[in-house]
Amino acid sequence: MAQRRTSGTNLFMTVLCVVAMCRAVPINELLERASQHSDKLHSLSTTLTQELDSHFPPIGRVIMPRPAMCHTSSLQTPIDKDQALQVSESDLMSLARSLLQAWSDPLVLLSSSASALPHPAQSTIFNKIQEMQQYSKSLKDGLDVLSSKMGSSAQAITSLPYRGGTSLGQDKITKLINFNFLLSCLRRDSHKIDSFLKVLRCRAAKMQPEMC
Amino acid sequence: MMTKVREVLLLLLLPAFVPHTDGTRYSLPGKPTEIKCRSPEKETFTCWWKPGSDGGLPTTYALYYRKEGSNVVHECPDYHTAGKNSCFFNKNDTVIWVSYNITVVATNALGKTYSDPVDIDVVYIVKPHPPEKLEVTVMKDQGWPFLRVSWEPPRKADTRSGWITLIYELRVKLEEEESEWENHIAGQQKMFNIFSLRSGGTYLIQVRCKPDHGFWSEWSSTSYVKVPEYLHREKSVWILILVFSAFILLILIWLIHMNSHSLKHCMLPPVPGPKIKGFDKQLLKSGKSDEVFSALVVSDFPPTTSNYEDLLVEYLEVYVPEQQELMVDEGKDHDGCLKSIGSASDSDSGRGSCDSDNLLMDKSGAAKEEQQQQNQEGDQIGTETQGPKEAWEKETMLCANEDVVSPSTSSKKVKTWPSVFSPVTPYSPSPLDPHNSLEMHKQNFLSDTQFPPGSPSSDHCIKKALQSSYWEVCFNNNQPYPQTDVHQQLQAHSDRNISAINDGNAPRNLLLPTRMTEYVEVQRVNEENKVLLHPIPSGHTREEACSWVGHGDNYSKVKGVNSDNVLLLQREVVEEESMEMAGAAESCYTSSIAINTPKPTTCSHIALPVQEERVLAVSGYVDTATMFSLDT
Repeated sequence: MAQRRTSGTNLFMTVLCVVAMCRAVPINELLERASQHSDKLHSLSTTLTQELDSHFPPIGRVIMPRPAMCHTSSLQTPIDKDQALQVSESDLMSLARSLLQAWSDPLVLLSSSASALPHPAQSTIFNKIQEMQQYSKSLKDGLDVLSSKMGSSAQAITSLPYRGGTSLGQDKITKLINFNFLLSCLRRDSHKIDSFLKVLRCRAAKMQPEMC
Repeated sequence: MMTKVREVLLLLLLPAFVPHTDGTRYSLPGKPTEIKCRSPEKETFTCWWKPGSDGGLPTTYALYYRKEGSNVVHECPDYHTAGKNSCFFNKNDTVIWVSYNITVVATNALGKTYSDPVDIDVVYIVKPHPPEKLEVTVMKDQGWPFLRVSWEPPRKADTRSGWITLIYELRVKLEEEESEWENHIAGQQKMFNIFSLRSGGTYLIQVRCKPDHGFWSEWSSTSYVKVPEYLHREKSVWILILVFSAFILLILIWLIHMNSHSLKHCMLPPVPGPKIKGFDKQLLKSGKSDEVFSALVVSDFPPTTSNYEDLLVEYLEVYVPEQQELMVDEGKDHDGCLKSIGSASDSDSGRGSCDSDNLLMDKSGAAKEEQQQQNQEGDQIGTETQGPKEAWEKETMLCANEDVVSPSTSSKKVKTWPSVFSPVTPYSPSPLDPHNSLEMHKQNFLSDTQFPPGSPSSDHCIKKALQSSYWEVCFNNNQPYPQTDVHQQLQAHSDRNISAINDGNAPRNLLLPTRMTEYVEVQRVNEENKVLLHPIPSGHTREEACSWVGHGDNYSKVKGVNSDNVLLLQREVVEEESMEMAGAAESCYTSSIAINTPKPTTCSHIALPVQEERVLAVSGYVDTATMFSLDT
């Protein structure tokens, strides 16, 4: 008798949830949440870069590869504000999603490398990498939902595979240098994602002009 | 030869031509340091550097930059817009998400000095201008003023399109010394309210902003605002006074409430009632002062008797009946003999104003309840001392045996009536009304004892009747009473005795001897199988001994034993003042007791006397309440 009752209440609850979810969350709300996620992601990467720089061998800066060597550099993104504001929403969304997708594997590599990074702040770095992975995952899910509402062109993703292998290097200096380099690339790309989403947010927030 | 000399001369003279200043050495220019670039709106940016020493020579500075992915070196397009030692990159020259490699070169006559290169990305170096159009107004919210601060984003920052997202912060300070800034984060909104203002104070307000990932701007220019007086001094003082007095009032009320009882005692002390031993208020009201005062006369004071034991035991007026040890016989070979120990306690103290009239009824009722309670209790051997309420209900000892079959459970009760009568009890046969007598009875205490049902029949006690002429004799074959040589002991249920006693024969009861621990000795058994008892003289005269015999309804006569082995006692109404009883003690205790058989028999439950077949309380002992009701 009690079981039947619990199953009945479960059914009722699921129906209620479905009904609630079916009520579409407006796009500007979704964009607001997405931009918050991307903001957090970029903040984390900035903090990580500063942490790493605190104990970085100076020689590393010389040897460090150029930012043009990032695996996402092939993706064409606007280079100034005028260009950026001329990009359509779908393209902006597509760019954001492509960049985000490009970092899912490297984040795993970063995480595994951070567990044994020869750095005094290794545990902090490792924790922050984990956090970034979580935010990246949730942002990816959110963008999937968003792009489905924005049309098919928004769902196109450019593939940007990471070809750096599964290891960052053999010796300590190389490891640190490559780690730093990857982080710098991540920092820039996360900033791009954040910027695009915030532009999209303001475009969708016609009802709340005071926010933008 | 001549050319050689000319060269040497030239060489020697060359230093002379060079202008010579004291202490200066020309050198290369110092390295430019601290290259700092900032972008106010993510569309342009400016770089500043700090020049080094100039080396004594006019030095020029140049900034060269290189974008990532390209090896083309460009020079700064604008050295002037941003001031000295700066380089301004306008919109056309600014790209984002592209790394600039910037180097500053100092050049003087002697050479160039390069600074350390700096890599920058425009999006990371955003520092906006301060917010503009800061406005502060005083607004009122139901009479209470508050400040509304509003501002605009810096002119150049494009927040409308979402290119830049700005977060604002403002700070407030009172215009006086030693006041500190109070910061508030306003988020992305461009308006803020400040409450809890000081009446008549002047405030300073500033605001600044920051991009979502960037640097804080400078503080804006200060805005001043004066808050009008809205809280009058007098009002605030009155409010304070009101609050204080209300608080004190509450405390006072609470204190009074806490001490209400003691205050009541202080203001309205309780009137104590009169409490004099032997003093009867009713008698006084009736006006017979002689009787009243005679009651106060204590004939036996100072106590002359040597029986101090009694004195100790029975000194009660308004006492709680004492527990008196009732010794059945000297030889203590009676197990389970009833012992009632009297405890003297004045339970009536301070209750002089209590209604004595009601007391009796109450007590009787209480006694009944108690008995019933005890009936419910388990079978235990114990001596329970009834309260004073009991005392004046019973005047006789009751020996109850569980073996006695009786409808009531009174058989389980043994009520002892130790010689409670205090020696101070007046023996004068003054006719006191029942009330007074009852009060005297109060002196008697009763103790209940319950026999275990399983106790052998041999456990019987012999009770000697106290003031009444009742006695209880238990059948006990196994334990011959040494003194009396009684083969068999009879047990008399003397519950009903009480009724007889209390029934209008109260005055006589007063004359009952004080020694309640009288032992009745079975003198002999006459030919009619009658057990003749006579009191054991223990210092008292026979007359005295007999004095109490004739008083009250005398249930000393056993009429007979019915078929159920029930002893039937005969009620004999004896006149009072029959002090002169027959000398023979036998007459006092003549009782016809039918002896059944020599074999051990259980004590029989005494049925109601035939003469007056009164059905008493089922409880087994007489309640004075019922007795009164029956009698009257």
